[in-house]
Formats: sequence, C-alpha cells, structure tokens
Amino acid sequence: MNQAPSPNLADPAPSPHDALQTQDGRASAPLLTVRSAVYSYGSELALQGANLQLAPGEILAVTGPSGSGKSTLMLVAAGVLAPTAGQVIFNGRVISDDSEGERSRLRRTEFGVLFQFGQLVPELTAGENVALPLLLDGAKRQQARAAAGLWLERFGVADLIDVRPPDMSGGQSQRVAAARAMVTEPSVLFADEPTGALDTMSGEAVMREIVRVAREAGTGVMLITHDAKVAAYGDREVLVRDGTTNELSINLRNGDDR
Amino acid sequence: MSSPSLATSLRLAASGGRSDHVRIGITAAGAFMTTLLFFLAASVGLIGPTDGPYRFEVLNQPGLRPGVIISLLLLTVPTLIFVGQCSRFGAPARDRRLARLRMAGARPRDVVRIVALETGLAAFGGSIVAAVAYFVGRRWFATEHIATITTETEIGSRGILLEEVNATVRYAPTDVLFPAWIVVALVAVVPVLATGFSVLALRRVVLSPFGVNRSTPSTPPRLLPVVLFGAGTAALMSFSAVVRLLDLDRRAFPLVALTGFIFFVMIATGLIIGGASIAAATGRFIAPRTDRPSILLAARRLIAAPYTSTRATTSILLAVFIGSAVQAVRASFLAGTDPEDTFYATTFSLLNLVLVAAIVLSCASLAITTTEAVVERRRTLAALKAAGTPRRTLAASLFAETLVPLVPSVVLAASAGLLSARGVFGSRVSSWSDERGEVILVDVPLPVATPALLGVCAIAVSVLATAASLVPLRRSFDHAELRTAA
Repeated sequence: MNQAPSPNLADPAPSPHDALQTQDGRASAPLLTVRSAVYSYGSELALQGANLQLAPGEILAVTGPSGSGKSTLMLVAAGVLAPTAGQVIFNGRVISDDSEGERSRLRRTEFGVLFQFGQLVPELTAGENVALPLLLDGAKRQQARAAAGLWLERFGVADLIDVRPPDMSGGQSQRVAAARAMVTEPSVLFADEPTGALDTMSGEAVMREIVRVAREAGTGVMLITHDAKVAAYGDREVLVRDGTTNELSINLRNGDDR
Repeated sequence: MSSPSLATSLRLAASGGRSDHVRIGITAAGAFMTTLLFFLAASVGLIGPTDGPYRFEVLNQPGLRPGVIISLLLLTVPTLIFVGQCSRFGAPARDRRLARLRMAGARPRDVVRIVALETGLAAFGGSIVAAVAYFVGRRWFATEHIATITTETEIGSRGILLEEVNATVRYAPTDVLFPAWIVVALVAVVPVLATGFSVLALRRVVLSPFGVNRSTPSTPPRLLPVVLFGAGTAALMSFSAVVRLLDLDRRAFPLVALTGFIFFVMIATGLIIGGASIAAATGRFIAPRTDRPSILLAARRLIAAPYTSTRATTSILLAVFIGSAVQAVRASFLAGTDPEDTFYATTFSLLNLVLVAAIVLSCASLAITTTEAVVERRRTLAALKAAGTPRRTLAASLFAETLVPLVPSVVLAASAGLLSARGVFGSRVSSWSDERGEVILVDVPLPVATPALLGVCAIAVSVLATAASLVPLRRSFDHAELRTAA
C-alpha cells in the first residue's frame, strides 16, 4: 500500500463479457469480474484500479508482497468491502452496489471464504462449524449436520465432527474451515493465505485437498498467497503490487490437481 | 535484580491506549460511587444524640438507622462488583501491552505491580473526588427548614411518648462530625479492595513475553450450588415454624438471627455459584436441539465460558433475591399495622428505590462484561460476518447469551427471596383490632406481583445494558482481524 493520490488505471479494465480460457482450454464467460476497483482505508489507497477475472471452476492465484493489497482485493471481490470506485460483477450482475445485507446473503449462498487462521468458532464443534452456514440459510439441524458430515469426510476429517477447534491441530482446523467454506457448494471460494499458518507438509496436504474438492465441485477459487509453491496450484496467476494488478502467466495445468 | 522505581512503574501504568484510559476512568467512577455511599452510610451511623432532627423519620429514630445503613451498604455491593469488573475492560489490549513489557524485560511481579498501581491509583482518585464531593455536598444540603416530625420521649417505665411537633429540620445528616481516621479509612477502603482484587484476578493468569493466558475453570460445580441454595431455602422456609417449635426465649435471639443470616448467605452463595451452573446446563440442553444459529452460538458459548455471562449478572440476581425478600417482609409489616399509618409503607418504598438503583448499577457491570465479550471475540465475529452471517444473528446470539441463563436464575432468585422471607416472618402476623381492642392474627398476603415486577424490571434493564454494549459489535467487524490468529 502506498499514499498515491490517484488510482492507477493503466491495467486495462476487463468487461464481464470478455471470454476467459478455462483450465481445460475452453473459452468461458467470466464468473467474477473486478473492474478498476479502488479502495482506501482513510487517506491510504490500498487498491488503485485493480482488475481481475475468474472463470467458472478456475483456480486463480493472486500473489504479491505483504501490504500490496491482495487481501483487500479479495475482500472487495467477495463483497466484504464495497469498493470506493470501480465495480465487482458476479454472474453478469454488479454486486458492488448492493446493500451490505444483499452482499452478506451472496457470501452465504454463492461464495465461500477461507482465512489464514481458519477462524472457526472455538465454542462450536467441527460439525456445528461446518453446519453453521446451512443453518443460517434456514436448514434444519439434522439436515445441516448430515451435510456437514459429508463435507468433513470429503476433507478427510469426518472423525472430528464432535471435536472443538482448540482440540484440533492447525491442519485439521484448516480442513474443517475449508469444509465450512464449501458446505454451501459455492460458485467461488475465496482463500486468503489458506496455508499461511501451517507447516510445509500440512500446508501442501491442505492445498491438495482444497484443489481436489474445488475441481470436483466445479468451484472457482481465488487463492491469495505470497508463497510461490501455493501459487503454483493456480491455473493463472495475477500479481498485485501497490494496489494494482498485472497478469503474470497462464499456468496451463489441464486438470493436473497434483 | 531490582524492581523498577515507583516513578517508572507509574509511567508504565499510565502509558496505555484509549481502552486503558477508559478502564482507568470507569474504575475511578466506580470508586467514586462506592466511596460516596460509604460516606453516606457513615454519616447515618455517626448521628449522635445532639444531632438532628431530620426531615426523614428513618434518620430520627435510632432503631431504624441500621436499616438505612444496611440499605446503603447493599448498594455498594453492585458498585464494588462494578469496580472489580472494570479490571476486565480492555483486557485484550492491556494483555498485549503487558506482554510487550515482559518482552522488554519486566518480570511477572513488575507487571503485577504495574496493574495494581493502575487500579489502585484510579480507585484512589475516584475516592478522593468522592470525599471532596461529599463534604462540598454537606455544605450544599445543610439548609434548615420547618417541618412536622415525630419525637420520642421516654416516660419512665410507662414507655415512650410519641408527639408530632413542628421543628427546624435538615434533609440529611449534614451536621454530624467525622473523626479524621474515619475519613482516611473511607477514602482508603475502595482503593485497597480494588488493588487487592486486581492482584487476585491475576493469580490465574500467566504473564509471558508472548502473551497473557488466562485459565478459567470451564466446568462449574453442579452439586455444591444445589445443596447450598436448596438447603438454605428449605431452612428459611421452615424457619419460623422451627423457632416456634423450639420455643426459644428472647435471650436466644442473637443465635436465631445469626442462624437465619447463615442460611441467607448460603442461598446467596448458591445463587452466585449456581449462576454459572445454570448457564452451562441451559447451554448443554439447548445446543443439540436448536436449529437457530444465534441460539446455537449462544448455547455453545454458555457451555464453553459459563462464568463470563454470569459474572456480571451476579449482583442483579442478588438484588432480585434481596428485593423479593423485602417484598415479603413489607407484606408482613403492612398486614400488622394500621393502614392509615404510612410510615412503613413509605420506608419500604424508599427501600424499593434503593433496590431499583442497585439493579441499575448492576447493569453497568453487565454492559462492561458484554462489551468485553464482543471485543474478546472480535476475530471470530469478523470471520463470521465476512462469511455472510447477518449482524442481527450475531447480536441475537449475544442477547441470548445473557438472557438465556438470566431468566431462570431470576425466577429462582425471586422465588427463593419471597419464600425465605415468608418462612422467617411467617404467613400470619399479630395485628391490633380497633373494634374489639384486642390483638388478633391476620393472614399475610403472598406478594407475587411485586417480586415478579422486580424480576421483569431486572431482565428489561439487562436487555438495555446488553443492547448498549453491542455498540462495539459494528467495530468488531474490522477485516484486519481476519489476518490474526483468534
């Protein structure tokens, strides 16, 4: 982040109608578009006209040094923060102008969010943590618990269903958090440094699980990381520097989920 | 290795941020109120034979003054609890500051000294201001005026002559003299208690350079509060019957009174300890049965941290318990006196005002505890909000966390107070019959409405206090919290 007085709009702003190449090489309309997004914390500009597109089922790595604005970009894209200027378009609809309540509903139903420290509710069991988004959407307890059990199983932590986060390892917590983020079968998963608090082995294992499950579910993933190894899981990589975005490369993995 | 000088410790004690300054301010405010109440109680206690007369009969009759003193001292219970609760305000920020001091080389005892100095000096400041306010107020209220009062004159062995006379009176005992040592003691008592409490509160805390870890017992005792509350209530309910059965004479009165007081303390202790047990039990019952996310979050929180929600409601429960007992005593007194004699009715109405004030003061502690609970969980709340949890769901869960254990506890406290006092004072009292000129026994009505109203008021004021403490909820959604470990 820096103190630049005006946004840098040098990066050409994408249109939601621009075609994107998906991981299997087909052209696809973008599922999520961030166009010329500006965001400031008081007088401090964090985003200065950032642009981004995410295709359905695509894994997009957003990289950059600490303080470059990549987490702010994710929060803006996920509708947690409303951009000061610019637009966020999801499924062809501008969501950045929606009310906080509408964006909250969207995050509950269409988006999943995964944080560096999992941020599970420490008082709830793993099963209840995962069931929570479904309960918020009006599901019955038994139905939500059954779905939570299935998603915990998909992330290989079904045996933790009645365990509370303080009694879990970091890797286990992050798997449970991933299951919580995926339980509503979102169109987009926003993952902010999902392995940042884990050791190398656990981090790789968690990333493999996230990528595998996201591929199976056809969920697009916006993966925020400053770790090149984690970024390599992406189909594309976008570099954020001083609040602006630059597409670095296209990693054609063609279904390689490693 | 020597300790830092007092001046250094003082500078470090005052070097905190905004929340530290707020904590110092509210500690001083709590100490101010408590010390002022102590001064008022002492001024009533120090009324001598040559002082007065006063506008209020309860101050003129020596036999009624202990009741006034006890009422004022009862008011200091919630204010003292408030001062104790203040030490928790802004605890996360203070913990980080203490950890930094430890990282910079301070020893645990140096850090404890800094905390004690902060609390002690804040309380001392509040007490000094209270003393000044009291003596300034004395001059302010020292005006005299003419009013009709009742005087008592002993007429040998025949009894006491009561006369209504016009006299020059004062509103309050502004003419009593305070010995210097009492002034010093009254100014010192709250700072000493607050300092002691702040040091005691750190006994379960590990002050390391990497942070402050608080170990709180998560499983409250189940049997002990049930035994204390149940046995105490049962004993007081059958108290007058047992005393009648034993046919004790007047000489046994101190022993009987002490026994009754012990049972009373047993019930109060059972309520205090039992609050956390009720919270945990209610949470365990609700958590596996609810479909509502707000209730689930609250229920699990009650299981995981039962003392948090009940710490602040303790004084509310005590006020409801004592208040309900007072209603039963009031019913007993009024049943046995002439309806035209309004003295007791007025006195009990004043006492009810004191109880309402106690409940309002108790709610200040509740507001602090709930605010602290929000600040403590700001990362979890920020994550839930980021994941799409509506703010109203989070607010509802915080409300439920306070109210779900409070409602059954208030019902228990009100019932225990009412039934215990009725057990002690009996369901029938002696009354003078005008027509036949003889003493008759009359039934004492069971005053259900006023304890119920008191309970409803306590819950309503708790709702307001919780609502006020949800103000920082909006600020707790700061996304910067999402990058930090919970």
